[in-house]
Amino acid sequence: MAVQTFLFASLIFFSSSIESNHGATEVSLFTNLENSLEVTAKPTRVGVVVLEAGKDMVRITWMLKSSAKVNDDASFKTVEVKLCYAPISQVDRPWRKTHNELSRDRSCPHKIVSKPYDKIPQSLNWTIDRETPTGTYFVRVYGIGVNGQEVAYGQSSDAEKTTNLFSVEGISGRHTSLDIASICFSVFSFGTLLVFLVKEKRKANLQQRK
Amino acid sequence: MAPNHSNENGSIGSSLHGVTAREQIFCFSVEDGPSSQAIRSDDPTAKFALPVDSEHRAKVFKPLSFAKPHMRAFHLGWISFFTCFISTFAAAPLVPVIRDNLDLTKTDIGNAGVASVSGAIFSRLAMGAVCDLLGARYGTAFSLMLSAPAVFSMSFVADAGSYLAVRFMIGFCLATFVSCQYWTSVMFTGKIIGLVNGCAGGWGDMGGGVTQLLMPMVFHVIKLTGATPFTAWRFAFFIPGFLQIIMGILVLTLGQDLPDGNLSTLQKSGQVSKDKFSKVFWFAVKNYRTWILFVLYGFSMGVELTINNVISGYFYDRFNLTLHTAGIVAASFGMANFFARPFGGYASDVAARLFGMRGRLWTLWILQTVGALFCIWLGRASSLPIAILAMMLFSVGTQAACGALFGVAPFVSRRSLGLISGLTGAGGNFGSGVTQLLFFSSSRFSTAEGLSLMGVMAVVCTIPVAFIHFPQWGSMFLRPSQHEERSKEEHYYGGEWTEEEKSLGLHEGSIKFAENSRSERGRKAVLADIPTPETGSPAHV
Repeated sequence: MAVQTFLFASLIFFSSSIESNHGATEVSLFTNLENSLEVTAKPTRVGVVVLEAGKDMVRITWMLKSSAKVNDDASFKTVEVKLCYAPISQVDRPWRKTHNELSRDRSCPHKIVSKPYDKIPQSLNWTIDRETPTGTYFVRVYGIGVNGQEVAYGQSSDAEKTTNLFSVEGISGRHTSLDIASICFSVFSFGTLLVFLVKEKRKANLQQRK
Repeated sequence: MAPNHSNENGSIGSSLHGVTAREQIFCFSVEDGPSSQAIRSDDPTAKFALPVDSEHRAKVFKPLSFAKPHMRAFHLGWISFFTCFISTFAAAPLVPVIRDNLDLTKTDIGNAGVASVSGAIFSRLAMGAVCDLLGARYGTAFSLMLSAPAVFSMSFVADAGSYLAVRFMIGFCLATFVSCQYWTSVMFTGKIIGLVNGCAGGWGDMGGGVTQLLMPMVFHVIKLTGATPFTAWRFAFFIPGFLQIIMGILVLTLGQDLPDGNLSTLQKSGQVSKDKFSKVFWFAVKNYRTWILFVLYGFSMGVELTINNVISGYFYDRFNLTLHTAGIVAASFGMANFFARPFGGYASDVAARLFGMRGRLWTLWILQTVGALFCIWLGRASSLPIAILAMMLFSVGTQAACGALFGVAPFVSRRSLGLISGLTGAGGNFGSGVTQLLFFSSSRFSTAEGLSLMGVMAVVCTIPVAFIHFPQWGSMFLRPSQHEERSKEEHYYGGEWTEEEKSLGLHEGSIKFAENSRSERGRKAVLADIPTPETGSPAHV
């Protein structure tokens, strides 16, 4: 028993030390990024309060800011467009916490698209992914340099992430067929128990009469 | 030891019965009891596949056998309990998907965790009574088949409130713990009951570990068929539901309440007297040892249940493991039950052989305190290898303590055995609810601080074991009573019946049990004086 425990503990130790040595030599911080991209994200359906996942579309555009210096965009070759949680969707949800260290940041988990950057304003009509959870979001675009690390960013909301947010209602995941199957099996469970009870009571009464 | 059927008429050796003073003498031959009818005519102990004692409880434990009725009851009992553990903790590894589907907050998840263990407080109490009155078979079947609909109803859940309600209702099925332990306690004799209960309990508790691996696997397979994650997790719950229905049917068709038959049949033929619930309840509640066990189990099993709900999240957050690895760590905590709990029961039995009941009590105290100390260490460990080492040692200590406790529980009462198992089991869930509420449902303590504080509370709440005293066997610090009457096992177990009930012979089951429990005197049992019968005279002088 003790040997098993020790072997298992050492297995976990080695496998986890392999995992934790993943990190790049230089840590990428959000505060080090240049805010050189101008991003907008607007629902295509006008006057809508809550968008439906899998159905509604959002028009996303991004381009270099007019206030940026000429060669600011020389360093990044691809852009990554991500869907990020607004602060209201992060309340009491530590698994969506914002972290300055980008590799540990969990506030932008949903990737919309990754495209090569060609120095002109780009746009995209994005249908909200069916698996998007219910929440309030904004869009952030990262400029990725040649070494795969983020060098610049832009977002559709302000620095405090309070403006230009949009709400999404996720799918429920419920299905009528699932509901019906669930009811059928529940009835089967009750019914089987009842049948057994009645059968055994009859058998015991018969035996008693004997 | 002398053959157990040596007290019958005409069987070989009966004329020399009692000469060596090493045989167990039974003051009552059952044939001549006033109200009970003959349970056997020719040596019917021969019809059992395993050697049995005077109550037809098996004297050996053969885990690989499925022989009727003893080993079959054992396997049906622990597998039913295992299935229920799978259902109760099935949500835990899927929480990352569920929390996105239902837009849950940390508070919602914490409350649902408390709810999942709270339902069983009431159902374990009820199950104790059901077992005493209707038998273990029906108890297990009710638990499995009446809670299966709750498992299936995860397909209807749409928000935090309904999620909490369904987890609460699924949690009711943890009552199978009580019916499983009761079933083994009536099927196996006192000398090995620690080991048997430890195996049944431990292998059942493993379900809490297995579910952390099973549910993600089932979820993944369902996703492969094309379902979205938010549908797949709901469908994944059908698997535990099916398992429960299948086990329910097996228990009803293959199981048997008592070694001699089913309870209702035996009651109708007069071989087992029907007891009154109010009396069973009163004697359970009146006995202070019941309440000490309630608290003790709250801080061994209670701690274990809490850990099942919080440990994977703890490793995920504090050490930045992937969800997959955190799940493996969480599973290994629960899987340690496979050997840890039986080890606790076995240690209790060995201690009883040497030191009697006092040995069992010391074993319990040592295992539970050591486990709690390692829990304190786990909360303070800041590197991953140390944390895992502390967690494994903590799991072995605490789970072995659970096993050791159920080496003591069967001896607290014979009349109210079921209800005491129920109350103790309920204590486990109560302890879990309390610790989750105090330490893991708010931002007052970090999870690490919560773990250490829980360990401290467990050490303190294990001290009451020193106050459990049996007049006939002693306690941790006191010797057995020297009093003529009170030092006899018959006096302790007979004390649960009124004089009127004794005159009707209703207490004979307890007297047989008392005689068989002489083994709890330790090595002194061999040298014990032959007890003089308290009422009536023996049939053969």
